Amino acid sequence: MDILLQLIANGALLGGVFALISIGLTLIFGIVRVVNFAHGEFLMVGLYATWIMASQLGLHPYVAALPLAVVFFFLGALMQRAIIQPLMNADPHIQIFATVGIGTALANGALMLFSADLRSVDLPWARQATDLWGIASVSRGNLVAFFVSFAATGALIAFLNRTHLGRAIRAVAQNRYAAPLMGIDVNRIYAITFGIGTGCVGLAAAVLAPLYPAFPTVGSFFVLTAFVVVVLGGMGSLEGAVIGALIIGLVESLAGYYIAPDLKEVVYFAIFLGILIVRPAGLFGVRGNE
Amino acid sequence: MLRLENLRAGYGPVTVLQDVSLEVNAGEVVTIVGGNGAGKTTTLRAICGLIKPTGGRITVDGKDTARLSPPGIVDLGITMVPEGRQLFPFMTVRENLMLGAYKPAARARIEERMEEVLTLFPRVRERLTQLAGSLSGGEQQMVAIARGMMANPKLLMFDEPSLGLAPLIVKQVFGIVDRVVASGTTVLIVEQNIVHTLQIATRGYVLENGKVVMSDTGPALLKDPHVKRAYLGV
Amino acid sequence: MRVALALGGLAALFALPFWLIPAIDPEGSGFWQHIFVTIFVFAAMACAWNILGGFAGQLSLGQTIFYGIGGYAGAMLNQHFGLIPWFGGIVGAAVAVAVAVFIAWPCLRLRGPFFALSTIAFLEVIRLLAIHFKDFTGGSAGLPVPMFVGTEMRIGWAWMLFREKENYLIIAFGLMALALAVSWLVRNSRLGFYLVAVREREDAARAVGVNATGVKLAAFAISAALTSLVGTFHGIYLNFIDPETMFSLPTAIQVAMFALIGGLGTVTGPIWGTLLVVPIAEAARGWLGAAANGLHGLVYGLVLVGVVLTMPKGLVGSIGPWLKRRFGGVAEVDSAARIQPPAPAAPGEERPPVGEPLLEARNLVKKFGGLVATSDVSITLREGEVLGVIGPNGAGKTTLFNLLSGFLPPSSGGVRVRLADGAWVSPNSPHGFAAAGVARTFQIVQPFTGLSVRENIMLGAFHGTRSAVEARRIAEEVAATVGLTGLLDAEARSLTVGGAKRLEVARALAMKPRVLLLDEVMAGLNPADVQQAVELIKRVRDSGVSVIAIEHVMAAVMALSDHIVVINSGRLIAEGPPSEIARNPAVIEAYLGEEYAHAAA
Repeated sequence: MDILLQLIANGALLGGVFALISIGLTLIFGIVRVVNFAHGEFLMVGLYATWIMASQLGLHPYVAALPLAVVFFFLGALMQRAIIQPLMNADPHIQIFATVGIGTALANGALMLFSADLRSVDLPWARQATDLWGIASVSRGNLVAFFVSFAATGALIAFLNRTHLGRAIRAVAQNRYAAPLMGIDVNRIYAITFGIGTGCVGLAAAVLAPLYPAFPTVGSFFVLTAFVVVVLGGMGSLEGAVIGALIIGLVESLAGYYIAPDLKEVVYFAIFLGILIVRPAGLFGVRGNE
Repeated sequence: MLRLENLRAGYGPVTVLQDVSLEVNAGEVVTIVGGNGAGKTTTLRAICGLIKPTGGRITVDGKDTARLSPPGIVDLGITMVPEGRQLFPFMTVRENLMLGAYKPAARARIEERMEEVLTLFPRVRERLTQLAGSLSGGEQQMVAIARGMMANPKLLMFDEPSLGLAPLIVKQVFGIVDRVVASGTTVLIVEQNIVHTLQIATRGYVLENGKVVMSDTGPALLKDPHVKRAYLGV
Repeated sequence: MRVALALGGLAALFALPFWLIPAIDPEGSGFWQHIFVTIFVFAAMACAWNILGGFAGQLSLGQTIFYGIGGYAGAMLNQHFGLIPWFGGIVGAAVAVAVAVFIAWPCLRLRGPFFALSTIAFLEVIRLLAIHFKDFTGGSAGLPVPMFVGTEMRIGWAWMLFREKENYLIIAFGLMALALAVSWLVRNSRLGFYLVAVREREDAARAVGVNATGVKLAAFAISAALTSLVGTFHGIYLNFIDPETMFSLPTAIQVAMFALIGGLGTVTGPIWGTLLVVPIAEAARGWLGAAANGLHGLVYGLVLVGVVLTMPKGLVGSIGPWLKRRFGGVAEVDSAARIQPPAPAAPGEERPPVGEPLLEARNLVKKFGGLVATSDVSITLREGEVLGVIGPNGAGKTTLFNLLSGFLPPSSGGVRVRLADGAWVSPNSPHGFAAAGVARTFQIVQPFTGLSVRENIMLGAFHGTRSAVEARRIAEEVAATVGLTGLLDAEARSLTVGGAKRLEVARALAMKPRVLLLDEVMAGLNPADVQQAVELIKRVRDSGVSVIAIEHVMAAVMALSDHIVVINSGRLIAEGPPSEIARNPAVIEAYLGEEYAHAAA
């Protein structure tokens, strides 16, 4: 098997994982214009929740995905109503601090409850390798994550483009001032959007639980990558996030092999800084729609 | 239908409207005349619920709107065509129009309404699949007015519809305003080009320093020496 | 008085551990010394962070970059070259400044969350590099601070290593005092005013001649140097450094958090924040024991969310004004009542004759995408003249002003200004135009709302002087000219529309400009105010300032202007003396209206 093809397959699948985590973040930023620094910690909470459901209730993680997404929808909407909504007109600094504070509290709360040990969902099926037409060998769990991320993105895009509520959500993003004049309740849209974005994280957590163990700082491990993905793809662009995630997945896989394993993140952070400087709207972002 | 009684409103600590009383009856075309900063736009924003009055009352068909949010006021049949068009730039014209009929009552018969509005504005029909942001200023203004009409409003408010448009386009826009008036919609209009609006207005109010200082029929105001001196620079 | 109080407070804070520790910990376990060193170190870092994050409003979450640089500079120079950490600290600070400038160049172009994200990204990159280049840094295994090298004992003041823990307290306290002093000096200097101005309204700051990027860069550099010094000491104090602790994101977040809890942009806030939160977290840990791993982080997070929701201005920013209201007896200023008419013209002041061209715009074109906002506009302002600019709303008058003051670069064409010495220059930035003697106001008033009226006007005055005393004097003089003397101490946000318009003019006048651009300073004023504004502008003109005024109040334009240009749809459609303009058919059609012509006839 050609090592390059294997690396590309690994990178693409890793990209699927990143995409799954990033779509919620980019949706929330694109519509509500708040960068949720606690996004990674929500993922961490989701991983623990899946672990508890699997180890205590014997629930299959993939079965847990839907109820977890629903619960996370309400968690997100609640967080928006209770903490973000009162700060919508505040200085952006204050919003950043609020989400940073939530993230810090969640990560350390998890440390208190579960200690720093790794908690893994035992699902050997997901870790088994499957052969892709003889060109590469990848784990089944990764494949599932890859397809779920595409399905979720497709469903979200269809929702935003084809339903009245979806159109209203986009309307709020494009013109906050005019939307209420159409009779759209902007605050309700914000809560719903925050809920959907957080629900995506819940879905991601359940799908990723068989692949990644839960530990208190797992959120910051993923969220920095998610930020890179979202900026690369264009803040607020769902399609951009998926493509950005694939690019970062490939960069990580190839740079880890051809440059140095411990410098792969340096490479994509360099890409991130380069994008911020040269094209702050991202690869697929529309100027003015940022 | 719409009545403002001793309205006071402003932004934060700044009070812009000191004392505004006016009314709009069904079928009328009412205009507000005043200099930049006199409070015309603020009045419209207060009616829409975008800013909360600090004193006085706004009633629609006798119902106090103080507790209503902007969407609640839209539900009462009050729609504004805002200054500077304010379209949704990355959506098609059709989607913009559909959003105009977002409230449930309008959504129920959105297809028929779309047909009626497009019959009224045939130029908009030609642009349905284009992104709103790609249209020219005059076309955008047309779409903004058509979007307002999609709500099938009892009262349509215009805020400076000719703003930033070239003279020829201004004439077209006024043609559209005339068509809206002719269709029987009640209209409240704020416009710097007062010559045209006062000619078509059944009544006009003159706003200075946040107070209504004068009101009369449109043509009568146009002949008034104070109005001539202050707003026509004569 | 306030200084004495502050110094007394500091002395008490310094004495506190020496008095408290023997009382609560007679065994001398060193635990409490450690707590106090931690408090002082974090307070110093929070103070340093606040210069960038608070005064300049640039929310950095990568501040430990500089902490780490200081730590590594101290330890590596010690390890590899046997140099004392005092020297290492200075080298570290110099490196930190260089790195800050390097990082600031791309990061400062970003705003809000993106700036924060880019600082995090830099922190991650530097941490990973520190791990990768293990030959220099010891990699993730870390670098111990040696106490013995061969037979030499590297201990004592020179080496910053002590057996007596009290000495650490002294150095840590010294660092905190240094950070506090620098912070105080910055806040009370021109730089401090500029930083606050840029944070509040970058456009208005640029209009008074502030080089926005330059002052932010200065804040970045000062903050980095101070943080690096703290890092050097703390690295030695911990006896061991590694990339995880030195370039730590959680630590960077904590530092910012302490400053916010205490009060962003206040001088003492960061210290209060640290003093409040660190002991709470440590005490909670003490009660619950070691089982409560993570508790301090939980407390930090919850306190942060609580503070953000209940008092976003932090302890000092919220409690300070409350104390003032409660005990200081500051009456609410009734701003409307205190505006006076502008000072009357001095007798014998005569209008100087209109002279040679002073500002020329040639064939200006401005396109926004496909939209042509300004199309081939040429205008000339002569010395001592009032040039009126009229046209319908949205015709492109404000765009023209933005081109004339460097806020927008023209798509083609250019603007040149004649300096006092007769040389012509073509500036390309707002502060370039300010330096050439061009001041402007904004149609939508842009007061620095958090500052007093006096401080607002001082920001204009700083254009001509570095001295705060002199700026204060100029501010008072200009306030008298425009009639704002009674409101000097009022907060700018409390002004009425008329007052805010005057403040806008006052801030521009305080720059002592030669050309003044006035954007609708009469909009929204009542007739009496308009009359006063006309008088004021005449006085300004008579004092030798040339004026370009966008105005809608026709009576005022006609009375004031020597020359009028008419703009419609981005084009200059007519120009000439007022009497001609009033009769020009194109102007009547586009702007004045046909009725005007009938009535005038």
